[in-house]
Amino acid sequence: MDMSQYLRMFLDESEEHLQSLNQNLLELENNPNDDQLINNIFRAAHSLKGMAATMGFDKMANLTHEMENVLDKIRSKKMILTTEIVDILFSCLDRLDKLVREISNSSSEASDVEDIILELQNLENGKTVASSAKTSSVSLESEMMEFEEDDRVQILSHLKNNYFCYILNVELFKDCLLKAVRGFMVIKNLQEIGIIIKSIPSLKEIENEEFDHEFQILYVTKESEKEIHSAVMDITDVRSVDIIRIREEDLNQQNGTIEKVHQEIAAIAEKVEKVVNTPQNTGQDIKIAPTVRVDIDKLDSLMNLVAELLINKTRLEEISSRINVNNELFNDILQQLDRVTMNLQHTVMQVRMVPIERIFNRFPRMVRDLSKELNKNVNLIIEGAETELDRSIIDSLGDPLVHLLRNAIDHGIEDPKTRAINGKEEQAILRLAASQKGNEILIQVTDDGRGLDAKKISKKAIEKGILTQEECDKLSKQEKFNLILRPGFSTSEVVSDISGRGVGLDVVRRTVESLDGHIYIDTELGKGSTFNISLPLTLAITQALLVKVCDETYAIPLSVIEEADDITPDRVKHVQGQEVFLLRGNMIPLIWSHKLLGLPVPKLNEVDQLSVVVIGTGKKQIGLIVTELINQQDIVIKSLGEFLIDTPHISGATILGDGEVALILDIRNIA
Amino acid sequence: MSKRVLIVDDAAFMRMMIKNILTEAGYEIVAEAENGKQAVEKYNEYKPDLTTMDITMPEMDGISAVREIMGSDGSAKIIMCSAMGQQAMVIEAIQAGAKDFIVKPFKADRVLEAVNKVLN
Repeated sequence: MDMSQYLRMFLDESEEHLQSLNQNLLELENNPNDDQLINNIFRAAHSLKGMAATMGFDKMANLTHEMENVLDKIRSKKMILTTEIVDILFSCLDRLDKLVREISNSSSEASDVEDIILELQNLENGKTVASSAKTSSVSLESEMMEFEEDDRVQILSHLKNNYFCYILNVELFKDCLLKAVRGFMVIKNLQEIGIIIKSIPSLKEIENEEFDHEFQILYVTKESEKEIHSAVMDITDVRSVDIIRIREEDLNQQNGTIEKVHQEIAAIAEKVEKVVNTPQNTGQDIKIAPTVRVDIDKLDSLMNLVAELLINKTRLEEISSRINVNNELFNDILQQLDRVTMNLQHTVMQVRMVPIERIFNRFPRMVRDLSKELNKNVNLIIEGAETELDRSIIDSLGDPLVHLLRNAIDHGIEDPKTRAINGKEEQAILRLAASQKGNEILIQVTDDGRGLDAKKISKKAIEKGILTQEECDKLSKQEKFNLILRPGFSTSEVVSDISGRGVGLDVVRRTVESLDGHIYIDTELGKGSTFNISLPLTLAITQALLVKVCDETYAIPLSVIEEADDITPDRVKHVQGQEVFLLRGNMIPLIWSHKLLGLPVPKLNEVDQLSVVVIGTGKKQIGLIVTELINQQDIVIKSLGEFLIDTPHISGATILGDGEVALILDIRNIA
Repeated sequence: MSKRVLIVDDAAFMRMMIKNILTEAGYEIVAEAENGKQAVEKYNEYKPDLTTMDITMPEMDGISAVREIMGSDGSAKIIMCSAMGQQAMVIEAIQAGAKDFIVKPFKADRVLEAVNKVLN
């Protein structure tokens, strides 16, 4: 059977199961007696096992199988949930997660699971003695059972009532799965047409799978051998059944020992009672809205199509204004088209949105592990997990947030003792919050730890040769904090394996910026720091201001523009060699976009007016001088592709209504 | 007319597997359910010739669902879908009236063998 068609679905569902396992296990640690939680965990592990086995991923299947055994013991209260068990289960989840990723990358399982399976098995054996399978003492060559006195009496009375007596030797196939159940089914079928006097091994042992591949049954019935044969062979996985008729004279030759048969009956009764009384787990009512799983690639291509439509709509509008159509009907249609495309675009964007929960969910677990490892007492507070973001942004956001949280726990938050000395609560508060602000999403990681020391940072930066003393003196306090986002920076004295390799924050910054986002730091020495990440809602379509620089058209994302104005050259002043202009009392530094783009810069006294676009990022404002402001419109952002990705000051390109390509200015790196 | 089947499993992945195996063999899948409660509702609605039933599911497990279905329709034909290590539960299900069982990981021929056997 071709399994590849199921792979995508398998991976998606596995991921969901792993996430719910992580969450539930965390909760279980706090409420170890919550049966509902154990059941949820058991079910998720069980589903994973079935799925993995079907796909032929044996390592995953074996591991989940062992997990299930342990969970089952916990569920049935044969084992008490300890921190040790929780830790092992968590490491199982990590291994599974690793396997899933390996499967997703290479369709095969690379990591070993033997070590962890051994740990699970040790857990099991530590608490319960493994039930050693009893080997049947029946000698098969003789094909005769020893009859005990009670059996003999019973058989004789049946024979008198026109029953026939048989010894059945039932053999199952060696590869039979769940042979206990097959055995049970054989017995059930036989009981429908006769009476089982005894079996070797006992019925109970058969049900507990304590037999090899064969069992013998002493049986009385009024049916013929043929009927018995078909009743037994009707069951899948039965290899053969030998039927030996027992007559009265055979019985008389036998001398049996007396054994208490009712003991066996009592045992069976007990078993039946247990089965009847097995509690049934009826879960809570959970209503799930009907959903359709869609490949993200399909959504991407839908988004592209919408983008194409948008471009053509813009072209249509442009043509109509150029050739001056004054047909009312035509304008109506154009307006209608405008509304429809806007709605369409909005809906597609909505479809691509997923709650940021998707990544936030994994953090409680990570914070738990880390704070345990580092002996820190951390309370993670998550806010705004329901905030929605474009799926492609969410997917790339996981790693940067992991870095930030790790940094906060490792470097930011002090150990409980130090905190107590400094008059802080021993338990540190780590806040992870997401919120929407207009067209942007703000994600904040706040800790109430040591905070950043601007002096220490600048000293370190100079030592590391990131910048010179002179350069450093010119920086504002805020800019000094930003130094820790530079490549090759690490303030921690000790490099731990958790963070502090000096690459983390640089990578964070680069990832955020590649998402057209921005990161800045708020901090107060001794009180804590906040890392703020602002991101666009979606990457694909945005509103932009089109401007001309010399003869070329450029686009500036509207989200960063505070205002745009034409000013006369005499408003430009010079302060410390920097051109600035005064806007309502604020001094705003000016930057010539011509210069950035390598185009000829006009002389100030040769122009009679300057177009300035005031751009605000974080707390900083700059005025970008362009040749001409054109208009504001929706643009579809296209990436520049692998080769041009590092082009300075350009973050992408877009196609305009007239088919021209306009480059999008990378404002955040300019400002 | 092809035989009509109801598939019950909480994992969409598993439902899809069984569905493909059975559809290819010419069976008609009339409905799917993802928990025991839904299974009982769908059973009463469609009266399928055969039901495949997972054991561990949220809301209502497969064994309770078998009991309910058998309670209202004694001729119902139900095949349990079980995993290794669930013998006790499969036995319980068979006591409750399930006709046979198949073991995950599913192999197409084993599934079809069980289905054909139960339907004839």
